[in-house]
Amino acid sequence: MKNGPKFIMPAAFLLSLALPVWGQLPPDELSEADLADGQRLFRVHCARCHGIDGAGGEGSNLARARLKYATDDETLIAVIDDGIAGTGMPAIWSLDDDQTRRVAGYVRTLGKLAIEEMPGDPGRGESIYQAGGGCPACHIIAGHGKGIGPELTDVGDRRGLAYLRTSLVEPADAQSQTMGYQDFLTVRVKSAAESVEGLRINEDAFSIQVRDIGGNVHSFRKDEFVEVEKIFAHSLMPAYGAALSQQDMDDLVSYLMSLRAEK
Amino acid sequence: MRKLVVLIMVLAAHSANADVSFGRLVDAKNDKDNWLTYSGTYRSERYSPLAEINTRNVKNLKVIWAYQMQPSTITGAGLVETTPLVADGIMYITEPPSTVTALDARTGKRLWTWSPELSDEVLHIGFPKVNRGVALLGDAVYVGTLNAHLVSLDAATGALRWDVEVADNKVGFSLTLAPLALERMIIVGVSGAEAGVRGFVDAYDSATGERVWRFNTIPAPGEPGSETWQGDAWQTGGGSTWLTGSYDPDLDLLYWTVGNPAPDWNGDVRPGNNLYSCSLIALDPDTGELKWHFQFTPHDTHDWDANQIPVLFDAEFNGVDRKIVALANRNAFFYLLDRETGEFLHGNEYSKQTWAAGLDESGRPIVLPGTDPTYEGNLIWPSLQGATNWFSPSYNPQTEQFFVSTRLMGSVYYKADVEYEEGMPFLGGGEQAMSGDDAAGAIRALDVLTGKQQWEFMLHSPPWAGVMATAGGLVFGGSNEGNVFALDGQSGKPLWDFQTGGAVRTNPMSFAVDGRQRVVSTGGGTLFVFGLE
Repeated sequence: MKNGPKFIMPAAFLLSLALPVWGQLPPDELSEADLADGQRLFRVHCARCHGIDGAGGEGSNLARARLKYATDDETLIAVIDDGIAGTGMPAIWSLDDDQTRRVAGYVRTLGKLAIEEMPGDPGRGESIYQAGGGCPACHIIAGHGKGIGPELTDVGDRRGLAYLRTSLVEPADAQSQTMGYQDFLTVRVKSAAESVEGLRINEDAFSIQVRDIGGNVHSFRKDEFVEVEKIFAHSLMPAYGAALSQQDMDDLVSYLMSLRAEK
Repeated sequence: MRKLVVLIMVLAAHSANADVSFGRLVDAKNDKDNWLTYSGTYRSERYSPLAEINTRNVKNLKVIWAYQMQPSTITGAGLVETTPLVADGIMYITEPPSTVTALDARTGKRLWTWSPELSDEVLHIGFPKVNRGVALLGDAVYVGTLNAHLVSLDAATGALRWDVEVADNKVGFSLTLAPLALERMIIVGVSGAEAGVRGFVDAYDSATGERVWRFNTIPAPGEPGSETWQGDAWQTGGGSTWLTGSYDPDLDLLYWTVGNPAPDWNGDVRPGNNLYSCSLIALDPDTGELKWHFQFTPHDTHDWDANQIPVLFDAEFNGVDRKIVALANRNAFFYLLDRETGEFLHGNEYSKQTWAAGLDESGRPIVLPGTDPTYEGNLIWPSLQGATNWFSPSYNPQTEQFFVSTRLMGSVYYKADVEYEEGMPFLGGGEQAMSGDDAAGAIRALDVLTGKQQWEFMLHSPPWAGVMATAGGLVFGGSNEGNVFALDGQSGKPLWDFQTGGAVRTNPMSFAVDGRQRVVSTGGGTLFVFGLE
């Protein structure tokens, strides 16, 4: 068992635990060398399921700002140490504490984008976002809006300038850049009774569930309907390239860039 | 009153006393109401001769009872991959990681449960905490544990008879397979190639737990096959044996499959064909002596182990009566071998692959250049989980159809530098598997003698569940999306399905109690028993 150096501390020393001690740096204070080692360890221990660059495979995509089961450094380390009950994520017993921190630190880098310079005024962008209730009709920011499209509260953490601009000008192109499972895949389902276009929200070999742009859920048994069409590289989001001036677009993109969990 | 008490005791004793003789195991196909060994019979057909549930009435199938597995005592729940055994009204299952439970097959009520003491630090490198089931022999139940022990339990009570350490878990060995019971012997294989173990097949005396023989799947210098290795690579050469084999009582030959060489994706450190990795081996069950071998994937660099079920059948092949073994391999080829000699009879692609131009006359793959993993990544079909995997195929001897759960998925394979360290992953790379709508699954029906596809039923994602054909003309299967379903064996048309609410990662099986046929599957951590009423 290679559980590595566990720190056995004299009782008096425990009193000073509030101070950072060697080997207990949080993942975001690791050196470049630590992170490089974290990447090496990730490729050995994690890449089999999570992909060589963390973008997912059998395991989930880790190249995201917020991980469902590891919302902070502490829970991320706990997930690596203990696994996640009821999922395929095992406890990684073969890493010692330092190695676990380096892997966690590397995983944290996967979901973080470098802060780019904003092309416009985020304050003006916010009013464009809110104008006429357009964007909040489908997107939630900090609890406000409807959840038809992706949640945008910390979209600035996970998407850069170029992607955000594309997603406004030509949403379908932005969608086709996303890897893996198509969470926002548009489908058209035609049955004898109705024809629905919307987002596929679930599917198996026998049924498909679709949410239309109004938020209504439609459930079909596959033996009942005539046709299901998957429309790849398509988005239900309207293209705003023609509707906004260059300045408005720059401001709106800047506002989205400013939406970060850590400012 | 005293007479009544005695009568009840006698009845109870009768129904709780397992007596699964070797003779019953040999004749399992005629023991229709029971499912006595992992794949149903020694031939591993996973075929139920029961026909009460058939193509006409399967639409009326409903849940008779369900059993929710108990939470694991060690950190992190495992995944349910068990195939239940049923003998005379008692069902024996395993729950992750290594718990054995006996249930009343009529009602699902628990009769006893047994769990090994497992440390939170038990290693399982390269696989989840799983167990695929038990073996029955005489009045005992045999189970392999995650910490690589083999255990014998009293089938009536779950009381421990003996417990032997098969191998050292600290270097990465585990037992996840259902053992195979032969005459007075229990056969097991090991998991652990992803930790760089040297694999083997073991036989234990069923009464005492004493080891009878061991066959090392990676030959030491000087042994036959050692010429396919260089230097010390054999010592960490992998070749695990983590899936239950098959047995031919007439030829008295044991068929076992051998896993990938280690490290998985960096073949530079182990030049050569790396025998007996990725092979089917035929052993003398009395001595463990190797009778023949056939290597499907020489010098594998994609983790395409051969740990799939070898299915035995007899047929006329090119005008000659043959005893045949069929295997749908993880490498996307379907093989027929003469099981007396190991002679290659036939092979064809049964699922998409981009790594070989085909098989040559001896069955060796004609590997295309540029298909090895690289530092930059290389997209190859099938994915490292393979065109199929450990979950079982099924053979219907009445219609000579071979059914296989197929994963339609490619991977970008990466190579990485790697050094062996005891008890650590020894992989040498990784993959970026295709996902979402770029991958799918299918149940495929093949003509067993030609490998030609007759039909397919598409699944939403690459499955982790096996199939079972029945004399009722049905093929049962399961999906990651939680569906248990029955297909028409002739057409592949879906006739019934049930949403379990959790991913299905098991092989279906069937039995009868009180004269009524039951079909068993799981969804998540719940076992479901279906019947007409």
